[in-house]
Amino acid sequence: MEKKVKIYTTSGCHYCQQAKEFLTEKGVEFESCDVGADKAAFQEMKKISGGARSVPVISIGDWVIVGFEREEIEKALK
Amino acid sequence: MNLLIYTMYGCPFCLHAKAFLQERDIPFQEIVVTPGSEEWGRMREKTGSGSLPQIFIGEENVGGYAHLVHLEATGALYEKLGQTWRKSDTPLYDAIILGAGPAGLSAAIYTIRKLMKTLIISKDVGGQVTWTNDVDNYLGFSQVNAAELVAKFESHVKTFGVERVIGKNVGAIDLAGRIKRVTLEDGKTYYGKTVVIATGGSHRPLNVPGEKELLAKGVSYCSTCDAPLFDDADVAVVGGGNSALEAVLDLVNIARRIYLISLTPLTGDSFYQEKVRHSGKVEIFTECRPTRILGDNMVQGIEYQSLKTGEIHTIDVEGVFVEIGLLPNSSIFIDTLATNRKGEILVDKECRTGMAGVFACGDVTDVPYKQVVVAVGEGAKAALSAYEYLLNQK
Ligand SMILES: Cc1cc2nc3c(=O)[nH]c(=O)nc-3n(C[C@H](O)[C@H](O)[C@H](O)COP(=O)(O)OP(=O)(O)OC[C@H]3O[C@@H](n4cnc5c(N)ncnc54)[C@H](O)[C@@H]3O)c2cc1C
Repeated sequence: MEKKVKIYTTSGCHYCQQAKEFLTEKGVEFESCDVGADKAAFQEMKKISGGARSVPVISIGDWVIVGFEREEIEKALK
Repeated sequence: MNLLIYTMYGCPFCLHAKAFLQERDIPFQEIVVTPGSEEWGRMREKTGSGSLPQIFIGEENVGGYAHLVHLEATGALYEKLGQTWRKSDTPLYDAIILGAGPAGLSAAIYTIRKLMKTLIISKDVGGQVTWTNDVDNYLGFSQVNAAELVAKFESHVKTFGVERVIGKNVGAIDLAGRIKRVTLEDGKTYYGKTVVIATGGSHRPLNVPGEKELLAKGVSYCSTCDAPLFDDADVAVVGGGNSALEAVLDLVNIARRIYLISLTPLTGDSFYQEKVRHSGKVEIFTECRPTRILGDNMVQGIEYQSLKTGEIHTIDVEGVFVEIGLLPNSSIFIDTLATNRKGEILVDKECRTGMAGVFACGDVTDVPYKQVVVAVGEGAKAALSAYEYLLNQK
């Protein structure tokens, strides 16, 4: 089964943009939310990441990755 | 055809050469010599040289390690070995550009226009320009959105078509020979006749306790990214230059109170200083040095020392934005190229590094005034110098 992928971003975050492009290039479908505007999503992001206050946070199945780390993402997608 | 290599204990290039052969499954016979020995005498007779290693393919002396690399890059190695089925799979580039910030992208425009076979290798595209919202002072734009400017740079380079490896880190580099070797962290190797270093800079860390531990838990080096996560919070910004003042302005409509802590009096443009002072939200502490970032699992405060009184204070904050300047990305070159005290690569006015065929440009060099327009100009110069160098080689 495909893993569910969700990325938490802000509008001024270029690494988030790059991470999204990276996922798109890999043909991965994902949901994206702007935690600067969406308070509930920000709370959710903090909860799943053990309190991260930095974007991007990317959840892939059971994995949670803080920051745009290509290799981690690739590992998690496998 | 048999390969014979003369080596000596403690000779680094002998080890390089042997590793090179082993990596490629090329069998070889080794003769270990000591200067003055009989075998050494025979080697000198055959080669006219006492330097090591000396490599023979059949009866032909092909030289040392650098020559081996050169032979592989041009494809001649496997021909000489009689292994013509093993064509070298890596082409030889006229220029390998390291870094795709403004300096590297500008260099690429010029190398491609000179019909040099070019490869760009970079962790990302845009470099530091992607760390900010807007770029000021770039000719032709009073102010331009940073992402748009990067997209423009990128599409300009793409109109010429260029080979790129993006998302990879250069791990090691061998610049000494006529053919330069660039190895990525994943082990893949590329060969070039020239190398243009445009690796720019990274955030300089404060190096105080708590900083690493609380990274992404309130400690941030990217205010445009993370400022929106500090809604109605008290935060500290560390630094006194333009980057720090811009970070304050990124936070000013979001955070509740902002403490600006600077080692020196503020050095950023007075235009920004005015804006910061007039916001009414910012308390400025100059001549103060942060000594610790406090908190267990989340940033809870920052401790600093006043340089005037020596007193130590703490402030409760939920975020610490560190904006204290740049660290040049030169660590992989530091053994082979001359650098200044800050670690910046020394270049002359033609962007030469002192190592033949190796050029550097932009924020990784000792050229003053770190600005996009300067990096772009230096990139062009480095590329044209590389072109000139190749012409003179022929
Ligand atoms: C917050 C901020 C705001 C700024 N605002 C302005 C402004 O308004 N106007 C202005 O003119 N200038 C501004 N600057 C300065 C400007 O961004 C820099 O001077 C310019 O980006 C330098 O370009 P560069 O190509 O030399 O280096 P960088 O932009 O640092 O690019 C270096 C590139 O090399 C890559 N790289 C590094 N190491 C490796 C490695 N080992 N392997 C592979 N790739 C590697 C990086 O990923 C990056 O792509 C600002 C800088 C900052 C930080």
